[in-house]
Amino acid sequence: MNPEFIRTICPYCGTGCGLVLKVEEGRAAATYPDRENPVSRGSLCVKGWVAHEFVHHPERLTAPLLRKGDRFEEISWEEAIALASSKLKETAAKYGPDSIGGLSSAKCTNEENYLFQKLIRAAFKTNNVDHCARLCHAATTVGMLQTLGSGAMTNSISDLAGADCILFIGSNAAESHPVLMGEVYKALDRGAKMIVIDPRETPVARNAHKLLRLNPGTDIPLLAGMMRHIVDKGLHKTGFIEKRMENFEALKTFLQAWPVEKAAKETGIDEAVIREVAETYARAENAAIVYCMGITQHACGAANVIAVCDLAMLCGHVGKPFSGIYPLRGQNNVQGACDMGALPNLYPGYQAVADPAIREKFQKAWKADLSDKPGRTVTELINAAGKDIRALYIMAENPCISDPDVNHVMEALQRLDFLIVQDIFLTETAKFAHLILPGACFAEKTGTYTNTERRFQLLHKAVDPPGKAMGDFEILCMMGKALGLAFDYNSPADVMSEYAGLVPAYAGICFDRLERSGIQWPCPDEKHPGTRFLHGEKFTRGLGRFVIPDYTPPMEKPDAEYPYYLNTGRVFAHYHTGTMTRRSPFLNREIEDPYVEIHPEDAATLGVGAGDWIRVTSRRGSIVTTARITDRVVKGSIFAPFHFTEARANMLTNPVLDPACKTPEYKVCAVKMVKDHEAKAR
Amino acid sequence: MLGQVKQKAKEILEKKEADGVLGLRKGLFDVIHPHVFTSPTEIDTLVLEPKWLFAKMARAILREKPQAWRLAVIVRGCDERAIVELVKRNQIDRERLLTIGYACDGDQAKACLCSRPYPQKLDAGSAVEGVDPLADERVKAYLEGDAGKRMEMWVAQLKRCIKCYGCRNSCPICVCVPCKLEDDVWVERGVIPAEMISFQLIRAFHLSDTCVACGACQEACPVGIPLMTLQLSMREALKKDYNYEAGLDANRKSPVLFDFSKEPRPGQAVPDWVDSMGKKP
Amino acid sequence: MSAERGNVKILVFACRWCGLIGADGAGRKRIELPASYRVIPVDCAGYVEPDAVIRALASGATGVAVLGCHVGGCRFNDANHPALKRLELLRTLLDTTGIGGRRLLLGFGTAHESHQYAEMIVDFHRELEGLPSMASWLHMAE
Repeated sequence: MNPEFIRTICPYCGTGCGLVLKVEEGRAAATYPDRENPVSRGSLCVKGWVAHEFVHHPERLTAPLLRKGDRFEEISWEEAIALASSKLKETAAKYGPDSIGGLSSAKCTNEENYLFQKLIRAAFKTNNVDHCARLCHAATTVGMLQTLGSGAMTNSISDLAGADCILFIGSNAAESHPVLMGEVYKALDRGAKMIVIDPRETPVARNAHKLLRLNPGTDIPLLAGMMRHIVDKGLHKTGFIEKRMENFEALKTFLQAWPVEKAAKETGIDEAVIREVAETYARAENAAIVYCMGITQHACGAANVIAVCDLAMLCGHVGKPFSGIYPLRGQNNVQGACDMGALPNLYPGYQAVADPAIREKFQKAWKADLSDKPGRTVTELINAAGKDIRALYIMAENPCISDPDVNHVMEALQRLDFLIVQDIFLTETAKFAHLILPGACFAEKTGTYTNTERRFQLLHKAVDPPGKAMGDFEILCMMGKALGLAFDYNSPADVMSEYAGLVPAYAGICFDRLERSGIQWPCPDEKHPGTRFLHGEKFTRGLGRFVIPDYTPPMEKPDAEYPYYLNTGRVFAHYHTGTMTRRSPFLNREIEDPYVEIHPEDAATLGVGAGDWIRVTSRRGSIVTTARITDRVVKGSIFAPFHFTEARANMLTNPVLDPACKTPEYKVCAVKMVKDHEAKAR
Repeated sequence: MLGQVKQKAKEILEKKEADGVLGLRKGLFDVIHPHVFTSPTEIDTLVLEPKWLFAKMARAILREKPQAWRLAVIVRGCDERAIVELVKRNQIDRERLLTIGYACDGDQAKACLCSRPYPQKLDAGSAVEGVDPLADERVKAYLEGDAGKRMEMWVAQLKRCIKCYGCRNSCPICVCVPCKLEDDVWVERGVIPAEMISFQLIRAFHLSDTCVACGACQEACPVGIPLMTLQLSMREALKKDYNYEAGLDANRKSPVLFDFSKEPRPGQAVPDWVDSMGKKP
Repeated sequence: MSAERGNVKILVFACRWCGLIGADGAGRKRIELPASYRVIPVDCAGYVEPDAVIRALASGATGVAVLGCHVGGCRFNDANHPALKRLELLRTLLDTTGIGGRRLLLGFGTAHESHQYAEMIVDFHRELEGLPSMASWLHMAE
């Protein structure tokens, strides 16, 4: 048999690079970059180049598993589906429909996400469906909805190459969205200026013209100080504000409270620098703000996003090419999972659950009664497990590593009456399941992912899932039917037809149209080519609104007992909970052991050398990990990548939530450290 | 030109001179991807654009096939040169591989700054004159002038490296297993930018006498590092000192591997001693 | 940018048939030399892979010297010929990047005697002191 070359999309980050998988004898043997993909154009990052490595790993789940005591036993699909559906129905009958919850997957396709939320809503008459966007860009959805009316990246990735000023705040795109950084560097080659706001000296920061290493969690004071200076100097775009904005007076009043001197004091950044950076941004012809977890994962995450939007709108840097606001969506399909309504308060297309007319539309389309009460978020579902929530269906998510305060998560999951976990490997979360369903990875399914620039892109199935594992689409169809829903879809393309009919912004999209280069929504009809940038004529909500950001300093700061700041995040060679990357030999070789970044002076104080084992403890838990001595972090702060199951950064993190969007404050909490003398030598 | 290539490919398959033809296919919805064509009728879907290099893929495919299985590859000039270098290293068995060579047009030559935009075995299209990369302003800026300024420019570029290994993965000559870049004795692991001196210079130097200027590295680099330029002065030195260019003659291995009697520097006497500080008389 | 002055570290690969003789001799005769060099004896200059020179520079060496026998006098079948060719090619690369080919000293047949070796080290040290600092290349690595 000759090798086949199948085009698909990378399963890792939200950049959405194009891959060509070389398939030999039914196995994904190699990955090449797809030179035709409009986003990646022939490049890949280190993870994309080895996307095939984990696909045929021997630890892949190959059959449904039922817990018997503390072992798992293989059962048939018939038994598994029958058990799952009956258990869920029983639970709903006994404790009410809102005792069921579903965690959908930002790794699965749009079609699978659509079916998942439809299943939870239509079969159980509850809105308890959410997914991991809650942990990252829920702040974006909430914040940008208020200011602009739409929570999506305003422009396209390629627009970055044309900016004259790029302001990074809370983003380490060189490690988390590597190929996207290429567009930024194109801009720099043209003479653009890059300003980076980050307490850490990330690889992005090292290429910056100006780096502002602000005190953790002081983004609003900084942005407010910048805006105050811009208004004082008359650099704001008065024409734009008059024509396109509302509530400017309120913003001006708010800015009275933030003179640059005060901002400087709060943030620890020099006054002169704040002024300079503000002017560079305001005066640029085209300016972009790129942001990510560094501002969303705070107790005032949504407010941080609001402040970013305020700054952009103040200077008129929205609604035109080469400018805009760029929230970098993390997972390969977290944008899609949100678009498809895997959210407790929104139906597909961000249509409100609470709106009776909208609900009626979906009731008619789905032929089912739907609940009018917005459901619980991921973090609330876990907290309520064993209390109001008695059964959970988790599809391809791993909260036992990715949620904050994982000790608490593990306790919570054990209180459930019934837990179904559908995944491709036996994850730490799956270990707590009563029933495990083996799903399919990206190479084994046809469907669509939507990348961070709103681009629907098509995956083509390259190989079959191993053993008895099935595509998540197929599993959801079986499950839906067992629960009495008419899930008779012939293919994922049929699912797209259904949701395209329910969401005006996706109405013009179908699989055929996506084959060559995908389409960016909104795409309201089949002749429409898709939308490169939003808010051109008017904002999605009509006028843009200056919303006042509510500043909340970090909820847990260092003190005598826990004297160091803990920051958490990602590194280039691994991805999120490491389920796939730590089973990829190439990536595991690049970064094998868990580590935390410690400043040399702190290391000296602790008597710790490079590679030494140290114990890091917070009020939530404790981990043993290795020390990487570097001045990327400031003295008094450490940074922990969260990818390592044997040293979970989220053992330590603070589960306090932003009340507006329920996103945890992953970026700041307090820890203590001590050299670990008992740990085995490496 | 496309017609000529298709004709040749069909002939090869019909006469069973090869069991497969590796090239680009334009399938449903005009989607283009690499493909091993096995029947003459399939050849109708063959296309030549965009630039996709096949030497490395051809090597991988041949390795999995039995000895008797032969492959024809549709190649541009640079691809052919890459194949020649792989043949020199016993990575490709010349007996098992046929090439269908076609010439690039002037625009492509300019885009790649290619001095030799045509294969030596030219089966389709007519060769256009090459472009001198050293005449390009941007290239010159990286190679000439004040060393301190150049160091700044190089560091500014190489600081962007995200250690994707794309340069190494896409380079047709980079087939070593194990690869030194992955060994933490030589290159620091687990941090970006990749350790600049060791990662970049070890790779560049390993290719010093074998780089065929195909541009795959530069095109794969997500952050736009001018990797081709890094190789240029070494290629020029080999041309000047030994009249040697990689990828042209499968029977001539790199002069750097041999002593001065076997591969002298024409026009330069063999020195008796060497003092690079130039002190000795 | 600042110069390497005060920071000079020289790594010397000395072929044991000639270069090492000079280095050893310089020590035995107590010739006063800057304390900035370390010697690695090798069986032949041909043993020194250019990657080792690169690694030395990446690890903080200011300059690297490779000392071998004179061109016609290699103990091992003219192995110093390809060594010379390779290292000259590496010099080209060092020049391109602005690191500077001057950081690579090749002495083939020029350091048998102790005074030759001593002079060479003194001159090399002085030359390196004046070169612009390579700190920006190294700062990136931890």
